[in-house]
Amino acid sequence: MISLGSYLAISFFLFVCGIMVMIARKNIIAIFLGIELVLNASALNFAAYTKFVNHNLDGHIMSIFIIVTAAAEAAVGLGIVIRFFQLRESIHIDDAATLQN
Amino acid sequence: MFSDTLFLLSSALTLGGAFAVLYSKNLMHSCLYLLGSLFGVAGLYACIGADFLAATQLVVYAGGVVILMLFAIMLTGGASNKINKFGLKKIPGMGNFSTYMIAGVSAFVASLVVLKIIADVLKSQGPTNLVANEPTVFKLGVLLVTDHILAFEISSVLLLGALIGAAIISRPRREIHD
Amino acid sequence: MDSTVVTYFSQSNEFHSIVMWLSKIFGDHAGGVLTFTIFAVVALVIVGVMATVGGLGTYAERKISADMQMRQGPNRVGPYGILQFLADGVKMILKEDIVPSNADKFTFILAPILCLMGVFATLAVVPFSSGFMLSDLNVGVFYLVGMASLVGVGIFLGGYASNSKWSMLGGMRGASQIISYEIPVTLTILTIVLIAGGLSFGTIIHGQSGMPHKWFLFHNPFAFISFFIYFISSLAETNRAPFDLPEAESELVSGYHTEYSGMRFGFFALAEYIEVFVVCGVAAALFLGGYNFPFGHSIELAMVQKIGMNSMVAQNISQLLELTAFFTKTLALYYVVIWVRWTLPRLRVDQLMTLCWKYLTPIALFNLVGCAVWMYAFDGKPIYSLIFETAVTAAHH
Repeated sequence: MISLGSYLAISFFLFVCGIMVMIARKNIIAIFLGIELVLNASALNFAAYTKFVNHNLDGHIMSIFIIVTAAAEAAVGLGIVIRFFQLRESIHIDDAATLQN
Repeated sequence: MFSDTLFLLSSALTLGGAFAVLYSKNLMHSCLYLLGSLFGVAGLYACIGADFLAATQLVVYAGGVVILMLFAIMLTGGASNKINKFGLKKIPGMGNFSTYMIAGVSAFVASLVVLKIIADVLKSQGPTNLVANEPTVFKLGVLLVTDHILAFEISSVLLLGALIGAAIISRPRREIHD
Repeated sequence: MDSTVVTYFSQSNEFHSIVMWLSKIFGDHAGGVLTFTIFAVVALVIVGVMATVGGLGTYAERKISADMQMRQGPNRVGPYGILQFLADGVKMILKEDIVPSNADKFTFILAPILCLMGVFATLAVVPFSSGFMLSDLNVGVFYLVGMASLVGVGIFLGGYASNSKWSMLGGMRGASQIISYEIPVTLTILTIVLIAGGLSFGTIIHGQSGMPHKWFLFHNPFAFISFFIYFISSLAETNRAPFDLPEAESELVSGYHTEYSGMRFGFFALAEYIEVFVVCGVAAALFLGGYNFPFGHSIELAMVQKIGMNSMVAQNISQLLELTAFFTKTLALYYVVIWVRWTLPRLRVDQLMTLCWKYLTPIALFNLVGCAVWMYAFDGKPIYSLIFETAVTAAHH
């Protein structure tokens, strides 16, 4: 039951869900949720390939870096969202259409 | 038997959480479903013997990212008026029928591409020779400070930058009158 | 499945006879079924015992505070009022369960369950004794830190979902406090991991011994400072006084659980008391030698060789001694936690954040670096062996 195919299928569904969340939502924070799903899907793939194909731990290292990057991205991104909300009183993605004020 | 049960539970949690994130109309709830999905992914890591990775997933996501997102949702929750000057509904903006249609189409295209790539693996459901799960912590530590030392250092600089950047960006600035 | 409890029980002869007997019914899976049964039973026992300890925690809190204020404390139900927690529990179950009409119902119901779940999940790795711990994961401490952070999510959600000002403020304070104080906690745990050379509780505890001079607390000066940082930060992480700002009753009515009643409130209270116990147990395991008792296995050997006792019985006795050692150390720390609560006044929010970010975190970082330097410079030797060696060389001259 635990095989490379099932892991790839799960991460495929995660990826598609993430993509759909990212496109369907108009709320910046909801888009972040989609990004997290996509990043998790890719990290899961790396770990699965490590286990089933090449047996060295480089995939785990890659997954750790993905998690680190996701954390940094979430921190900075949410900082930007909060700042944007202070300026515009909105977190609708279509409001962030101008470069200045 | 145990690992099969764990695998089934975690994959159900992961997929159910992901679908619920997609379908929930409430931002807070969809954040909670995301937490469930991330826990499921941690369980999936544990199934294939990636123990350190599973624990990292728990620490970073449950302790850090999800609370951060809940905070952001709460801090951006109260706008004074519901419609802004462009005539857009501000909160929650969780999408409507047309955006879901576009999302469905693009997800369909993306899934075609990805399925084409992973088709060979999905078809070859042969008996994979499972090696026994071993503790990975020691090897990961050695790898991180030998082979991947440059990436490790760069990621630490990235984290420092993110820390300072997030603090500076979200701090309420004094108005500059010129 | 490498579970410590199962490994311990599988040493006995009865285990094998039961496996033989079960294999007639279940065929090849007999060992697995028995493993699962033992695991489930021990997990239930641990959860039950911990729930009782949490209940007794409320009693201890009231009794000790009464002692400090020269009052009687609860003394009506049972001898010395020790059954008070049962009466409270019955009262909580019988109370009406109110969900505010404007509350977010799903989140409101989920929040206390998340809190309790996070705490119970940490019990899987708490080292009660060398045989009686559910699982000796090789990422034990790390797993514990991760699971304990679920409590923060629960507290935050409890505050948010109640849709009340006080709850909201309490939940926000709770989440920010837990997130902030996780950093010094993790850094001090890392200091000990550096000394022990492993993340599992088994490795950490076997690096120490029953006698105090071999505890990691006295390994080097940095570890000594780390203990106090860990203790202070974990007080803040479990929302105990003087850091109980999320439930400050003088400013926010009762913080994040203002709107909760009945058993849901009971879940929050139970989660808090069990978490305090877990945190004290971890402090005992990391710094105070864990379940090691003085003279350790030489007692067991003496019982087998000198008295001629059955080795399994001797092992059981030594397990009991280990349990006693662990509970003694943990409950002593528990007493200190309650003592601190009834002695110190509450901090302000800004003081709380200043303490974390300007004092504890830099000191913890410094400790980590200092400990690494110590391990490199002195080859990982503890301070007592250095003193001992110096004394021996001085005696030779």
